[in-house]
Order: sequence, then C-alpha cells, then structure tokens
Amino acid sequence: MIALVGSAGVLLALVSAVALVVQGIRCYLSDGTPAASLRLPVIGLLVGAIVAMGALEIALLRNDFSLEYVARNHARATPLLFTIAGAWAALEGSIVLWGLILAGYTTWVFRRLRGRDRVGAAALAVMGTVGVFFFGLMASAANPFRTLAEVPADGLGANPLLQNHILMAIHPPVLYLGYVGMTVPFAFAIAALVSGDGTTAWLERTRRWTLIAWSFLSLGIVLGGWWSYEVLGWGGFWAWDPVENASFLPWLTATAFIHSAVVQRRRGMLQAWNVALIIGTFSLTILGTFLTRSGVVASVHSFTQSAVGPALLGFLLVVVVGGFGLFAARGHLVASSPRLDSLASREGVFLLNNLLLTLFAFVVLVGTIYPMVLEAFTGDRVSVGAPWFDRSAIPIALVLLLAMGIGPMTPYRVARPAVLWRRVRLPLQVAAATAAVVVVAGLRPITVVTTVALAAFVVSGILRHAHEVIRSRPGGYLGGLARLPGSDPGYWGGMIAHVGVALVAVAIAFSGSFGVRQEITLVVGESAPFEGYTLTYRSPFLRQEPNRTVIGASIELRRGDRLLGTLEPRLNQYPNQVQAIPTPSVRTGFGEDVYLSLVRIGQGDATVTVDAFRFPLMWLLWLGGLTVFAGGIRSYVGRRKSSNLPAFEAAGV
Amino acid sequence: MKRYRLFVIAMLGLLAVLVGFLVANIRGDLVYYKTPTEVVNDPASASAGRFRLGGLVVAGSVAESATDVTFAVTDGTTTLQVDHVGAPQQLFREGIGVVVEGTWDGTLFHSDSMIIKHDEQYRTEEGGVYTPDSRYPTP
Repeated sequence: MIALVGSAGVLLALVSAVALVVQGIRCYLSDGTPAASLRLPVIGLLVGAIVAMGALEIALLRNDFSLEYVARNHARATPLLFTIAGAWAALEGSIVLWGLILAGYTTWVFRRLRGRDRVGAAALAVMGTVGVFFFGLMASAANPFRTLAEVPADGLGANPLLQNHILMAIHPPVLYLGYVGMTVPFAFAIAALVSGDGTTAWLERTRRWTLIAWSFLSLGIVLGGWWSYEVLGWGGFWAWDPVENASFLPWLTATAFIHSAVVQRRRGMLQAWNVALIIGTFSLTILGTFLTRSGVVASVHSFTQSAVGPALLGFLLVVVVGGFGLFAARGHLVASSPRLDSLASREGVFLLNNLLLTLFAFVVLVGTIYPMVLEAFTGDRVSVGAPWFDRSAIPIALVLLLAMGIGPMTPYRVARPAVLWRRVRLPLQVAAATAAVVVVAGLRPITVVTTVALAAFVVSGILRHAHEVIRSRPGGYLGGLARLPGSDPGYWGGMIAHVGVALVAVAIAFSGSFGVRQEITLVVGESAPFEGYTLTYRSPFLRQEPNRTVIGASIELRRGDRLLGTLEPRLNQYPNQVQAIPTPSVRTGFGEDVYLSLVRIGQGDATVTVDAFRFPLMWLLWLGGLTVFAGGIRSYVGRRKSSNLPAFEAAGV
Repeated sequence: MKRYRLFVIAMLGLLAVLVGFLVANIRGDLVYYKTPTEVVNDPASASAGRFRLGGLVVAGSVAESATDVTFAVTDGTTTLQVDHVGAPQQLFREGIGVVVEGTWDGTLFHSDSMIIKHDEQYRTEEGGVYTPDSRYPTP
C-alpha cells in the first residue's frame, strides 16, 4: 500500500519534471507566456517529491518490511533518530532526498520569478531536466519502493557505521543542500548561455542560492570530517579518500565561483569564466555522486553491478559534453569586454585565487580518478597514498592563504603601492611577530610556522580594517562592531568565512605535524605513560544498550595526579550484523585531544591493546568550519546598502 | 571564440604538462592491491615492493606468538601464508576478510599493517574478487 503511494509520488514528480521542461521551453520560446504558467508542474514536482519521501519515512517508522529498502536498512530495534535518518542512509533513499531537495530549490526559484521571465523559465527547464534524471532513476534503477514477495519478520538494520553517531543523521542532508543547490546557478548560467544574455543578471539573481549552497557544502564537508574522526577510529579526519574528495572538488570550484562572481558584479569582468566555473562545479557534483553511489571507488568492475552507476556516468557525460559544448558554441555571447587595468589590483588577486583554486581542484581530480583510469586500462588496482596529496596540496593551500590575506586589502582597478603598504604594514608586523613567538615556543616544522604566520596575517588584516571602519563611524565602538557586518553583509560575511578558513588551516597544520600515535598494551590495573599523560586500565566491560551490545575497556586518563576522565574505547555489536564496529573514545581538551581506539581485549590474560593518539587543537578545526558556515550565511542574510562602492573605498581608507 | 583560441590552446598545453608532472610524481605513492592468485601468477612484480594483499583468513590456520600472528589468506583459488607483526585487532578471527600491507618474499607475506574488511550485510564468504579497502561504507 505504502509502496503504491510512494511510487505514485515518484511518478507524479517525474511527469511534472517532464512537463516543467516542456512548459519551460515553450515559455522561453513564446515570449508572451507569463512564467506563472509553470506553476502546475512546479507544484506537482514538489508534491510528488514530498509524497515519495513521506511514504519512505512512514514505511520506516511503521516497520513495513514488505519494502526491500526498509528490510535492508532498518530493524525494529533501530532507534527513532536513525529510523528517520534511514531514509537517506542507503543508495535509493539518498536519491529520494536528492530529489526532494531539488524540488525544494525549484519551488523557491519559481517563487522568485516575476512576469514574463524568459531566462527564468529556461532555467526552470534546466532544473526540470535534472529532475527528470533523478526521478527517472527512482522510477527505474534506484527504486526505493520495490517490494518483497515474502515479508520478513524483522529487517537487517541500518549500516552499523551509519547508526553509530548522531552526525550521520545530519551530515547527508547538509551536504545535499550544498550539492543540489549548485543546480540553481548552473541552470541560470545555461539559461544565460542559451539566450545569449551577456549581463550580470543571472549572477545577481542566483547569488542567494549560490551562497546558501556553498555554506552548506562547507558545513557538510566539516561534519563529514568530524564524523570520520569520532566514529571510524583510524585516528584522523581526512585521508584523501575518493569519497572525501568527491565533496571537496565542487567546494573548490564553487569557492572560486563565489569569488569571481564578485569581480563580475563589481567590474563586469570574467563573465565567460564564471559560466565555465559553474558548469564545472555542477559537473563535479554529479561526478561526486557517481563516485560515491556507483561502487566505482571500490573497483571499476563492481560499478556495473547496478544500473545506477552507468546511468550516473551517462548523465555526467551529458552534463559535461552538453554544458561545455554549449559554452564553446555560445560562450562569446556572454563574454565580457572590460580588460584588467592592472594585475596589481583586487581583480588581479581574485584572478590568482581562481587560478589556484582550479589548479587545486585539478590536482585533487587527477589523484582521485587516476586509480580508476589505471584499473580500467591495465587491471591493476591501486590507491593513491595520502603523501602524494599532501605534497601537492600544501604548497597550493599556503599560497591561497597568502592571497586570502592580501586580497581584501588590495583596492580595485589599480593598487597604488602607498595605499597597499599602509594596509599591509600592520598585518605583516603581526605575522612576523607571531612567527617569532611560534619559533621561540619551540614549534619548528616549516609548514606550521608558515601557516600560523599566514593565518595571523589574514586575521589581523581583517581586524585592522574592521577597526578602521568602526572608528570612522559615529557611535560607540562595541555598537559599531555589532553593526559592522550589517553595513556590508557580502563583504563582512566573506571576512568571517576567511577567519574560519584561517582557523581550519592552523588546526590542519598542527594536527598534521604534531599528531602522535602509539600502540599501548596494558594489563588490568597497570598504568603506562603517554605524551605526558598516564593511562590506567581499570577493567573491561560488557554493556547492553537498547540497540546494541557494547564491549569495551575503561581506561583512566590522568595528568600528574589529576584524574581527567575515563575513556571507553569500545566495540559496538549491532543485532543482525556479522561484525562489530570499533568506536574510539575522545577526550577533547583546550590544548589537545586524547583519542583512544580499541585494538583488542585479550581473552585469557586480562590485557587491552589500544591505539593512543594525541591531536592538538582539534576543536579549532570544528570551530573554524562552523565559522566558515556562519560567514557564508551572514553574507546571504543581510541586504546590501544602496552604496555600490566597495567597503574599502566607502570607508575612505 | 577566435580571440580565445590561442588562450585555450595554451591552457590545454599547460594542463597536459601538469597532468604529466602529477602522474610521473604519483608513481612512488601508489599502493598496489593484489589477490593471492595475482601474486602467484606474477611473482616477479609481487616481489618488487610493498603492496596490499586481500583475502579471507583460512579456518584453522591462525597461530599467535608474543609478537606475531601467522595465518593463511585465500581468495577461493589460491592460499598464501602471512606473517603479521603486532597484535591482531579484536575483530580478527578465522573466516574474516582482511587486507594486509607489506612485502612478499616468494613464500611468505610479511605484513605490518592490517585492515579488517567491513562487510555491511550478510554475505556468503566464498571468496571472489577483493577490492582495495575504503574507510567508508559504500551505500
């Protein structure tokens, strides 16, 4: 019954998406039809997507094991939160979530159309096309409403790795809000190409969606790293795994896009480049979906096991060939004429930022798809080691950090050395002083010193500017500080995000250089030193929790005589699952985290072996990530003041 | 797009050089993955350096000492002996899928790193093709 309702929802959405494409194209061609004629298909798309998602949730909540999806990914004992999250914990459900978010964005775009909006109608037709693909996938290869002839009494339960931590309920929707959101600027860029509209209208109109999508993509990546750190127990947050790279690639090009979009809006430059960037970004989101959803990462030979892989690959080809083909044929229509006045200008630094970010994305892309290409041609199965990525990424990232500091201080058009020097002097002094302090404090690795100095440069540059702007305005200092972001949300939101990136960079440099791993074996009652701490093995424990059985070891953590806490690295055994899941225990501190991951509990000899890790400043990484998100959202929320002058010039600096 | 043609050609050339550089650089950091059958079929390349070996732990083959654990892994057709230095993980047991990393001396695989493969569903453990292990579940 519920399967029928769900399938009807998918079908309604599919038909509506087709209608949206047809009606959108007609609307674009006819010139006379108001965009309001698209109302019915848009409503159909949204209702269909909601019905499909709702049916899936109801089936999960009602333990309806007649659905294959529910039987595979849910059990009666699954807690409520993970029952709800079960709707996106596996392939078919995640496509439904994708479709629902796409329908949501489509509706939002529709509500912003006014009168006879040909470009808007064309953009909706593009979004409809994407919808046709994903709802078509749901109706065929990735059908979540497939039923079982014999209804089992209980299901297999959710993937234990996914029901092990609350972050797994949040991370996918957040990431998808980012991924799918990139469809909106992509659709408008295609519409601008088709109609040969060389103005900045498409950028202005899609600004809010671009910023929202970018913010959620940033947050999603950080949450993913956090989950990996808290759950997987290998002792890290980022390993350049293809699954991680899949989310990072579009983030890099999207970041380039939101920066070059500023140049286009302010100075009318980089028009064609922006169109190419957003086509690339959208292609990378589809590539990411292909990489994570088709099984191609495990082996190129496993991806044809389901029709989802080839379908996604086909769609990727359509997007890349269609998008860039259209760009090659009609790109000159949207190309801008103004030339760069001088490379030493804000535009010049933005250009550098764009080159670095796309280079970064390109390097990561090569490392990510190289194993697949090699396997396809030679049959050799390989993975690219993290050292290669580190070696390639760190220099690019450091130069990016430098550009991030210089950029906001550089005036538009032409940067006169005197002006630049006045702005750069103080941050340079702060950076030099910070570097000196770091070296005196005994931190030697060159990457750490450089990163900390550059981060200090970025942050002090922003603070200096903020201070100057606040002082130049009437009113109290604190009030001025509070009003500051609202005076130019686009600019100051961006600066908040910059501070976040600087924090993230420092945290990555510290954990990369000073992370320590040590394997320790203890007998019950025994203590062992670890990096200035003392670990004491109290006892093993066996605990029955509602949804799982936990085997673990209680280990006391002391510094000197002070008891800091008891860590419980453990194995979670879920019913219906063959294997238990090792889960680390983390004590987060201001200076550093102590992280214990269970290797084994000895059977006869009362021993425990743990992998003990020390990671400095990890909280800075999560805080930095949240700051980036907050900055992105801040720059969207506020409305611009009427003044079109860049903040620097307006402040008279 | 005439005014861009030279630019595009230059960029493509630059990209080609970059790819060449990146790929030439990648060789040293590649971790090869082999099954026992592949090792036996091509012993020369298997002896050349470190690689990952994947298979199922053969029942009755596990022997532990103070510092090592020795066992046999199989892919269903070929079985190889492995000597792993260090304490095996809690999940290590007969019949489970493992990926070990180390060197092959022609008769014995010397491992210093072991990953237990996570099987997400019930799965008949009958061997078959093994794949490089990702840390992530593939839904």
